[in-house]
Amino acid sequence: MPIALEAWLFAVALGTSMLGGVLGMASGIFIVPILTMFGGLDIHTAIGASLISVIACSCGSAAPFLRERLTNIRLAILLETATTSGALCGVFLAGLIPTPYLFVIFALILLLSAQQMLGRRKESLVPLGAGTGRWAALRLDSSYPQRSPDREVHYRVQRLPLGMTLMYGAGLISALLGIGSGVLKIPAMDTALRLPIKVSSATSNFMIGVTAAASAAAYFARGEVITGVAAPIALGSVVGSILGARILMSVPNEKLRLMFVGILLILAVQMMLAAFGINLIGHTP
Amino acid sequence: MKAEAALSLELEQLLGKLLRYGTFVASAVIALGMAIFPIARAAGTRAATAGIVLFILLPVLRIGAMLVFFLRTRDYRFGAIAALVMLIIFTSFLVGAAES
Repeated sequence: MPIALEAWLFAVALGTSMLGGVLGMASGIFIVPILTMFGGLDIHTAIGASLISVIACSCGSAAPFLRERLTNIRLAILLETATTSGALCGVFLAGLIPTPYLFVIFALILLLSAQQMLGRRKESLVPLGAGTGRWAALRLDSSYPQRSPDREVHYRVQRLPLGMTLMYGAGLISALLGIGSGVLKIPAMDTALRLPIKVSSATSNFMIGVTAAASAAAYFARGEVITGVAAPIALGSVVGSILGARILMSVPNEKLRLMFVGILLILAVQMMLAAFGINLIGHTP
Repeated sequence: MKAEAALSLELEQLLGKLLRYGTFVASAVIALGMAIFPIARAAGTRAATAGIVLFILLPVLRIGAMLVFFLRTRDYRFGAIAALVMLIIFTSFLVGAAES
């Protein structure tokens, strides 16, 4: 592996993981398009490396969330049965779906991310006492400490079956495209389960690593995690996610958000063109 | 309920430590592999690959820690759920191995 390529991969991972951390998204959504379209890598190799990056970012940034007691561990493990089942299904499909279709699906997910970034996440907290309490036996309801005013915020988990179904889809897309699928997990948690925003971000981050591990295990066994590519990507991701967590303290402003909507749109258009380029020219980019 | 809150805090701290040290060890092994690669190609690649495997194993270890915790607190329902997640991840690996 030439040093220049290693350095480039490290830089890509560092930059995307840092931005991912600041924006609250996983790095994979940027890594796969960049590696395939600018690096000329095979999409399966890019996905394999991206999954390692997603795990590294998730593990590297989980500790502060846990320390703040924002992560709902019981809910996370229950939802992980759905995300890993979805990942298992996605692993099957990834081998069957032709590359141009993967590019198209990826472009659609990029568009969805752009749309989500434009809209604001709304707090849809249901006051305690509401809801059916049908899942009381699972003891999923929890609370988290709030700083100012200093108090414990209690919340109740809603519409679990819908949440589980959406999580299955998120796991499937994660395995298929090598992304963390935060773009699908966050709305599932915000709107279906009705979790407080901080709790859903922390719990989603915690789950992303496990989902990606289920996919990465299959890609690794298939020989699609290339060490020369994945090693610099993993290191860059760890450094980037640590730096990103520091910057996260200052909330991203409006301009930064719009800039990223722009980047996501450009990547979406490029991915879409690449899909059709393959059909016309007949070779993998 | 008080005891349960303390136990849950203990689990959160344990998982936090596991992920932090695990990330550090896996990164160090990869960095070592990349550093010795120019001198000894085979050994360098093997070390870097081992670091990548460690990264894939980290979330699995995390589930393992949760499994032990649930069993220790006699929460067999969630113990079974944790075991199921581990089983699905293992199945995924087998599916990949069968296809290669």
